[in-house]
Amino acid sequence: MYDVIIIGAGNAGLAAAATLARKGAKILLIEKHNIPGGCATSFCRGRFEFEVSLHQLSGMGTPERPGPLRSVLDSIGVLNKLDFVEMEKLYRVVMPGIIDITLPTNKEELIKVLQQQFPNQRDAIQKFFDFVWQFFTEVIGAFYLNDPDINPKKYPLYYKYALKDTQSVLDEYFNDPLLKAVISPYWTYMGLPPSKLCFSDMAALLFSYVEFKPYHIKGGSQMLSNAMLEVIYENGGEVLFNTEVSKILIKNNTAYGVRTTSGQEFESKYVLSNASAISTFVDMMDDTVNQKALEQYKGSSVGTSFFTIYCGLDCDYHEVGINEETNFISNSTDMEFDYQLSKTLDTENSSFILTCYNVFDNEMVPKGTSQVVLVTMKYAEPWLKVPPHQYNDEKYRCAEAMLKNAEKVFPGIISHIEEMEIATPITHMRYLGHPGGGAYGFDQYVKDSTMFISPKPPIDGLYCAGSWYGAAGYQPTLTSGHSAARAILKEMRKK
Amino acid sequence: MDSQILRQLEGYEKVTTDIEVLKRYGYDYRLERGLAKKYVERFHPHAIDVKVTDIINETNSTKTLRLASKQKYMPPFQAGQYISVIVEVDGIRTSRPYSISSSPDEIAYYDITVRRVEGGMISNYLLDSIKIGDSLQVSAPAGNFYHNPIIHSNKVVYIAGGSGVTPFKSMIQHAVNTGTEKEIWLIYGSKNDSELIFNDYFSKVASKYTFFRYIPVLEEGAGTYKGFITKDIIKEIVGDSSDKTFFICGPQAMYEHLLKELQPLKLKPRQIRMESYGVPADVFSQPGWPKEISQNTRFVIKVRGKKDFTVTAGQPLLQSLEKNHIVVPSLCRSGECSMCRVKLVSGKVYQPEGVKLRQADRRFGYIHSCAAFPISDCEIII
Repeated sequence: MYDVIIIGAGNAGLAAAATLARKGAKILLIEKHNIPGGCATSFCRGRFEFEVSLHQLSGMGTPERPGPLRSVLDSIGVLNKLDFVEMEKLYRVVMPGIIDITLPTNKEELIKVLQQQFPNQRDAIQKFFDFVWQFFTEVIGAFYLNDPDINPKKYPLYYKYALKDTQSVLDEYFNDPLLKAVISPYWTYMGLPPSKLCFSDMAALLFSYVEFKPYHIKGGSQMLSNAMLEVIYENGGEVLFNTEVSKILIKNNTAYGVRTTSGQEFESKYVLSNASAISTFVDMMDDTVNQKALEQYKGSSVGTSFFTIYCGLDCDYHEVGINEETNFISNSTDMEFDYQLSKTLDTENSSFILTCYNVFDNEMVPKGTSQVVLVTMKYAEPWLKVPPHQYNDEKYRCAEAMLKNAEKVFPGIISHIEEMEIATPITHMRYLGHPGGGAYGFDQYVKDSTMFISPKPPIDGLYCAGSWYGAAGYQPTLTSGHSAARAILKEMRKK
Repeated sequence: MDSQILRQLEGYEKVTTDIEVLKRYGYDYRLERGLAKKYVERFHPHAIDVKVTDIINETNSTKTLRLASKQKYMPPFQAGQYISVIVEVDGIRTSRPYSISSSPDEIAYYDITVRRVEGGMISNYLLDSIKIGDSLQVSAPAGNFYHNPIIHSNKVVYIAGGSGVTPFKSMIQHAVNTGTEKEIWLIYGSKNDSELIFNDYFSKVASKYTFFRYIPVLEEGAGTYKGFITKDIIKEIVGDSSDKTFFICGPQAMYEHLLKELQPLKLKPRQIRMESYGVPADVFSQPGWPKEISQNTRFVIKVRGKKDFTVTAGQPLLQSLEKNHIVVPSLCRSGECSMCRVKLVSGKVYQPEGVKLRQADRRFGYIHSCAAFPISDCEIII
C-alpha cells in the first residue's frame, strides 16, 4: 500500500513525486517511457545531443533575489544539483526586409531600445510597460502575498484587465502593428495569438522574464528531469519505467490505486495523474465514474503541437549570422494569420523560433559546432490526415520550406547541417501520449484557466497536475506538480 | 479561484456565458477513447506480430526472411532503417536488430537478410529453426541510417562489408522502384564472390541503369579489385569525393580500417554516415579495457528489488540480464538508442567508444546496458 501513486514522469509528475518523497510519503511513480522527463528530455544523434523543448526558463531570479521558480526547485530539492545560466537578451525579432531588433532583458534598456526603433510611440511604450508592471504588482499583492481582503478599490487594474485579451490591451496603447508584433512574439510560448490570449498570462510572462530573467539549465532539461528522479531515489521513492497505467481504480467516487497494462494492481491512498486530461478521464476510467470530471472539459479544445527541426551544425554559430540564443523569425506582423497557419501543413509562410543552445552553454556541443533548433506551432489535425506512406516525404517538404526561410536570415545554414532530426505533432503524440501531441495541454483560453476550472477533479483521492490542468511551460508545470503534492500532504496530515 | 472575486472581474459574465454555451454544445471526449494510441500505432506500434511468408536462399550462409504483418499493415520506414526481432531461444527472451533489406515501397512486408554467425545464438535460430508460416514478433522500424534529401548529396557512395550490405539493398531497390535523381556507387567488400549477398540483383541493376555502379572488392579470388577497400580504390572509383555523401555499414573492424583509409580524402563529418553495428565481440582487446580482468573474472550483479546473480567478465550487461530472465526493452543493441538504459548505483562498467550517453545520464550514473561491461560488482536499478 502506497501513500501516493503518481502517473507520468513529466515535469509535474517528477516535481510532485520528489516533493512527496522528501516529506516521507511512500510513493510509486509510474512512467510509460524508458526515461523521465516527458517534454523535458534530450536525445543523441551523431556527435550531438539535442534539447527537446526548453527554450527560456522563467521565474528563476538570482539567489539574492529569487523568483518563484527558484523557491519551488529548492523545495523539490534539486537546486543544488543543477547549474543555471542567465541569458542576457530576451530575444531577437527578424522580419526580413521589415525589421531586425534585439531586446535586452533589462527593463530600462528594453524600453530605450524600443523607443529608438519606434520614436513616434515613445510615450506609449513607457506607459505600456508602466501599466504592465502596475498590473502585475497588483497580482503579486493580491495573490502571491495572500491579501485576505481583495477588492476592486485596492486592485483596480486587476479587476479591470484580468479577463481581457492581449490584443485589446495592445490596441489601447499602440497603433503600429509592427511594434505590437515586436512586443508579443512570446504568444507562441503559450499557443494562442494575442486576440485569444489572456492578458494576465502575457503580462505574467513578460514581467517574469524581465524581472527574473530567462535562464538556461546547464546540460539541458534532461539534467532537471534526472535531478528530480535522483531526489526521488534518495528519499526511498519507487519508480517503474516502461510501465503503462491502464486504469485508475475507483470505488464510491474515491481513487484507491491503479492497474497497469500487464494486469498488475497497486493500491494507494492517493493517485496523482500527470497524464493528459483525456487519457486520465477517458482512457483510464470507465464511463460510470468519469462523467462529472469530463463535464468541465466539454468546452475545451486540444491545444497546439509543434513541428521541430533539430540541427547540429558543423560550424560556429557566428559563421551563419546567429548572435542570439532566441530568435523569432516571421514574414509579417499578422499574428492572427500566423495562428491560422498553425492549423495547416504550411511551413513556407509560418513564423518560427530559432534557438541556438550553445550561445550560453558551450558544453552543449562538441568544439567548433552548434546546436540549432527551429520550431513552429502546428496543430496535429492536418498531420493525422497525411497517409502514413507519405509521412516522411511531407516531413522533408515542410522542413525544407522552413529552412529556406531560415536561410534568408542566416545565410549558409543549410550547408552546415551535419545532423538533422525532424519532429512532427505525431512525434509528440508518440512520446507524450497526449492527444493531438498537445505539449501545452488544452488551448489556454481564459475560460480554460485555473480561474474557472479547478485542477482538482471531482473524484476523492485523485489529484491532477501538468499542462492539461492549468498553464503550460516549465515554471507552471513544475509549480503545478509541487502544489498538488502539497495539497496531498495537507490532506494526509488531516487524517 | 474565490468566486467572490471572480464575479466582480470585468467581463466575467461573458466568460461564464461562453462556458455555459460550450458545455451545452461542447465535445464529448469519450469519443476519443484509445484514439491517440491508434494514430501513433500506424507509425510506431509497440510490436508487430508477423508471419514468415517466404524464405529465400541468398548464399550458402545467408537467407532472406520475408515478414508480413498478421494485421495486414506494416508501418512506413525509410530505406536503411532496421527492425528488432524479438525471440525466445532456450527459454531466454532477447532481441536482435536487422536492417530491412526490402524497399519501403513494398508495403506488404519487410525482408530481413540473416547471415550465419559462428556461435550466433539468434542468427542460427532464425536460419535453422524458422520455417515458412512461422510467427515472429518484431519492433517498429527504427534507426538513423538513411538519406536525408535536404542535407545529403544526391551523389552517394555506399560502402558495405559482408552482411552490412542489407540496408543498401533497400536503398537501391527503392531508387529503382521509384525512379531516382541520385547517382549511386556501391563498393562491397567481401571474402569471396560466393559470399556476396544480392550479387545477381546488384549486377542486373548495374547493367540496366546508368545511375548505379556496383563494385565488389574481394579478399580472395578473381575480380577487378582485390584485398580490402582502400583509399586508392575509392578514389579511382568515385573520383572527386568532395560533393558526395558516404554511407558505411559493416562489421566493427571495417570501420576502424575504413576511417583510416578515408582520412586523406578530407571528408567533412557531415559527408560520412555510419550505421551502428553492435558492440565489440572481443571487448578484452579494446583500448582502455582493464588488463587485470580476464575471461575468468566473475562479478556479482545486484538488481535492486529483483535479484542478484553472477556474471563472467566480457559479457554486456543486457545479455546477462536477459539470461537471468530480467526483461529490459532493447532496440539497437549498439549503445545508441538508449532503450536499455539502466541506473548504475554502485560499481564500475566498461563502455566501449562511441556509446551515445546523454550528458545528464553520464552525470547521474545511467548506462546503456547493451554496451556496458561490468568490471566490478555492480548494483543497478531498472
